[in-house]
Amino acid sequence: MLTVILQQGINGVVVGSLYVLVALGLTLIYGVLVQINFAHADIVTLGAFAAYFVTHLLSGNYFAGIAVALVVGGILGWLVNATIFLPLRERGSELLPLIATIGVSIMLQNAMLILLGPIPYAFNTPYSSQVIRFSGIFLTVQNVLIIVVSALTIALLYAFMKFTFLGKALRAVSQDRETAGLMGINPNYVIMLTFVIASALAGMSGAMLGPVLVLTPFAGTTVIVKAFAIVIIGGFGNVEGTIIAGLLVGLIESYTTQFLDPGLIDIVVFALLLLTLAVRPTGLVAEKREENV
Amino acid sequence: MTGSNESAGVAHHQTAKQAILFRAEGLQKNFGGVQAVRDISLNIVDGVVFSIIGPNGAGKSTLLNLMSGLYQPDSGKMTFSGIDLVGIPAQQRVRHGIARTFQKIRLFKHLSVLENVTAGFHTRHQIPPWQYIFHGSAFRDDQQNCRREAMELLTFVGLQHRSQVMAGSLAYGEQRMLEIARALATAPRLLMVDEPAAGLNAAEVEALLGRIADLRKRGITVVLVEHNMDLVMKIADRILVMDYGQYLFEGTPADVQAHPDVIAAYLGTDFQ
Amino acid sequence: MLSFGIPMLSSRRFWFVMAAIVIGLLPLVFTDSYWQTNLIVCAINVLLAVGLDFVLGYAGQLNLGQSAFYGIGAYTSTLLIMNLGTPFWIAFVCGVLLSGFAGMLLSIFAVRLRGHYLAIASLGFAVITYQILLNWISLTQGPLGIYAIAPPPPLGIPGLPAIEFSNLANLFYLTAGFALCTYILLDQLVRSPIGETLTAIREDEVSAASLGINCQRWKVFAFAVSSAVAGAAGCFYASFVGTLVPDAFFITESFTILAMVIVGGMGTLIGPVLGAILLTVLPEVLRGIGDLRLIVYGVSVTLVVLFMPGGMVQAGRLIFGRLHRRAISAEAGSAP
Repeated sequence: MLTVILQQGINGVVVGSLYVLVALGLTLIYGVLVQINFAHADIVTLGAFAAYFVTHLLSGNYFAGIAVALVVGGILGWLVNATIFLPLRERGSELLPLIATIGVSIMLQNAMLILLGPIPYAFNTPYSSQVIRFSGIFLTVQNVLIIVVSALTIALLYAFMKFTFLGKALRAVSQDRETAGLMGINPNYVIMLTFVIASALAGMSGAMLGPVLVLTPFAGTTVIVKAFAIVIIGGFGNVEGTIIAGLLVGLIESYTTQFLDPGLIDIVVFALLLLTLAVRPTGLVAEKREENV
Repeated sequence: MTGSNESAGVAHHQTAKQAILFRAEGLQKNFGGVQAVRDISLNIVDGVVFSIIGPNGAGKSTLLNLMSGLYQPDSGKMTFSGIDLVGIPAQQRVRHGIARTFQKIRLFKHLSVLENVTAGFHTRHQIPPWQYIFHGSAFRDDQQNCRREAMELLTFVGLQHRSQVMAGSLAYGEQRMLEIARALATAPRLLMVDEPAAGLNAAEVEALLGRIADLRKRGITVVLVEHNMDLVMKIADRILVMDYGQYLFEGTPADVQAHPDVIAAYLGTDFQ
Repeated sequence: MLSFGIPMLSSRRFWFVMAAIVIGLLPLVFTDSYWQTNLIVCAINVLLAVGLDFVLGYAGQLNLGQSAFYGIGAYTSTLLIMNLGTPFWIAFVCGVLLSGFAGMLLSIFAVRLRGHYLAIASLGFAVITYQILLNWISLTQGPLGIYAIAPPPPLGIPGLPAIEFSNLANLFYLTAGFALCTYILLDQLVRSPIGETLTAIREDEVSAASLGINCQRWKVFAFAVSSAVAGAAGCFYASFVGTLVPDAFFITESFTILAMVIVGGMGTLIGPVLGAILLTVLPEVLRGIGDLRLIVYGVSVTLVVLFMPGGMVQAGRLIFGRLHRRAISAEAGSAP
């Protein structure tokens, strides 16, 4: 029994860390812009496909695939910001950018559907078949890879936010854009940078999710809806909260699969989401954002 | 002009039977460790112009937000015409007769000037529920009355010729006046205006002064949070001075101008 | 609406009568079953779009849960009819009430949240509802679906032959007629002080509250109305399509309805009608782009939001404005 719990715990951490990477992107964007990029999901999917093509068709190295996915994600993030969020910022509408990204998301998904078809692609890396076994617990090297890369990335991101100038500028802009601007920080530049980082993270997580999930044009969507839940549970704009919530959701997912029914996963996660919204809308860990009247 | 208002203010307070419209006692409000409002008490007599002044950050707007119901106090008491206000949300206080404008203009920018004002009639419609769907005679009468009264209010603030203009395209001073007209549409007994003179030129301030005096004549009690000392000294019957969220002094304009603490804290360097 | 300076054309009643006449004529013009089917789908989409506009365009709440209410209406009425033998119209009313109630529940809890949270909470609700429809097999038959759903029972009018709804034209009259009535109802609401209240909430909740508006209560109202309308659309859909599967109520349906509202012009009520008609008919007209249908939706939403946020209505006003300046100034005072 203990083995099962431990096994699922590890699976949960693996899945959870990927969710964290996806959710971090969302939460970073929300932090600086108070906006949601609905097309984030599709950046994840595109990252997965980019990695797939590099690894399988160009017979590249899996790590090269991850790197390419990172770059592809970053470029897409820059594009979305430049074509949608930047032009719409003057209009001052809260909801229009969100709706525009819904449009982009529909576009991308269905374009992928036409180009790539609905049949899942088998994304196998040399690592997915290598297994490590100890005291009755199964781990593929892919899983280990995921945990290591995610942990490294999160740590780097954390360090970046806390210790570098750009990172602090990012935090400044998310707390008070106007004042940050007055202090010599260019908010538009910081926002662009945030988008690039966030979307690069998304692309990278897609590359690592590809071998783990069912790779179709809708792969991102299945993750994104949980990523939203994570961002809310952890608190929009709150990095620590997102990390905790992401791992939590990953664990919930694996334990629900093991002890209840896989079909119930979404329901459980969303019930938790709705519960959080009911009890503490600003998230389990976040501080309140006072609106200036 | 100061003299005549002063004596009017003094005359108000000499009348023994003056009813206290708004009473607050020991109001406290904390924001994440910062005491924005600390132990504030005040009594506002019915029908006066009551001004709240103080340096930036003194807590004036917070006090206004507590009075209008946007924030709930951490502790303290508030009554309006005998009704206990603590715990009552902002929209309900409107029904009791409290209205306000905002320091940062919050108009419905994409609606017309007229539509902004008619939105203020929300609490006053006399339409049976089924007539919201089947527009009968009560509906038509109500709409006519609303339109008429809205135009009266717009005339009062000088915007009657701009009724169809989109509110967002008005000049700054006009927007401030529109906010006042909109707040008046709720037929308040107490109107709180938050820095209405900010950004107005001298002529507009004069017009504002006249309108506040008009409101007082109509029996509406006005709470005026302001930085423009000229305006305050000319129109206020009673002034509360705040500093660092705390009570500093309360009195007539003459008392305030003479008080050494007030001068030291604020008037001496900032007096316009 | 555009009057070109002719008084009769600015009368709402005139346009409603015209709409009724057009509805009456359409099945006579399009007599093949393919097009008559499309007309019915059009009517259902109009209903969905108009319902969403009430809560999104007027109250300003981004409700992404319409697919859930659509599905709740469809499954409720169908299950009542097929499992309990409930008469059609009673089942219809139950379907509408249950979806309205579900909308009310969702909103009571969601309207305390700011815009984005609400959007995600409603999306989450749509996901949960879909999962329930998919997985509660004992109730809904899951992905296999419910078969052989009958159309509405014949309507007997004394002295006349009964109206059979297995006839597509009659079904269209029923659906489109209901859609027209719903439009008129919502139009009346929107042109009353209730409409002013909702737009005040949309523009600025804080100052709306300072005018005595209980924002929460009215948002719940808008949600309930909007989801009830979606439920009604679901009831019609079920009786029309004959086979009910959960996939018809996947969350992409919410986005499709959103596209119709945005492309048509949100907050105008007539815009979503136009948007629904355009986005239903266009993919059929441009036959062969079947797969591209959704891409067209996606592209049009993005382009509209970026360049013409008022949608087709705004485009129409610009075009006619250049041709007839007088029409614009005559209409300037009237409600949207």
